[in-house]
Amino acid sequence: MSAPNEDNTQLSSHFFGDLLDSIIVDVASECHRIAKVGLDRNLEEEEEELRLSAQARASVADPSNSGEANNKYVVDIFGQTHPPVANEIFKCMNCGRSIAAGRFAPHLEKCMGKGRKARLKVTRSSTAAQNQYSRGSPVSTYSSYTNSTSTSRLSNGTPGFAGEEYSNGTYEGEP
Amino acid sequence: MSHSHKLVIKSSVSRPPTPTPTPDANKDHQDQKPSLQEINTKFIESGEKERLKELLRERLIECGWRDEMKALCRAFTRKKGRNNVTVDDLVHVITPKGRASVPDSVKAELLHKIRTFLASNAA
Repeated sequence: MSAPNEDNTQLSSHFFGDLLDSIIVDVASECHRIAKVGLDRNLEEEEEELRLSAQARASVADPSNSGEANNKYVVDIFGQTHPPVANEIFKCMNCGRSIAAGRFAPHLEKCMGKGRKARLKVTRSSTAAQNQYSRGSPVSTYSSYTNSTSTSRLSNGTPGFAGEEYSNGTYEGEP
Repeated sequence: MSHSHKLVIKSSVSRPPTPTPTPDANKDHQDQKPSLQEINTKFIESGEKERLKELLRERLIECGWRDEMKALCRAFTRKKGRNNVTVDDLVHVITPKGRASVPDSVKAELLHKIRTFLASNAA
């Protein structure tokens, strides 16, 4: 039965070739689609972008700028520069010290955490504080935070805009 | 599909008439050698072709063949320009290398399966 065997071999190669061609067409068609739709962005464009980003990085990492990351003053997309630590200075209601806005949160953590475990109300007060800060007036709206008493609650119901009124009356801020 | 041993001329199909069978040892009353077309039909209709195609596709993905082909396409596309490429181009780019670079184990596996199919369905 040599003849059928030979035929078989040839035939199976034929079928295999058929399958392979079919798969090749599939791959080609998919690559074609990707190329046309631009999904697999052309290497040219990638090289171009790489070059541009390397350029940008080089210009940014100028020796004139010092800094931890790349620059001391990062320029955002609007062209504004922001100092790494927020500048404005506020007075902490708790201890009365002048604290920079950017250092306020960590300061509060230590400042209030030492006295009592009174960190429960910080969230509410910080949103209130933010409202105040956005207006620019350095009035902190913490009311009745005392280190000694166990009750450290905000004035009832005041979200903070009415900065002058405190129901408990004991506050250490400037009117 | 069993043919009679007489000559059957079908008007719809133009192909040479079935040759009269030589007096060889024959298992069935079927034709000794089913035509290529018949085998092909059976191949497709039984679903075997699709199964084997999927198997081949899977093996080729596993061994990285497909990625190689895609890389070739990308390189070609880069040279020729994204908008000038046709599917035909890519097929011609891939086919020679593609046929040559199928791993032997994959080819052997598929050929074996095809031969098994042929043995049970043809001569």
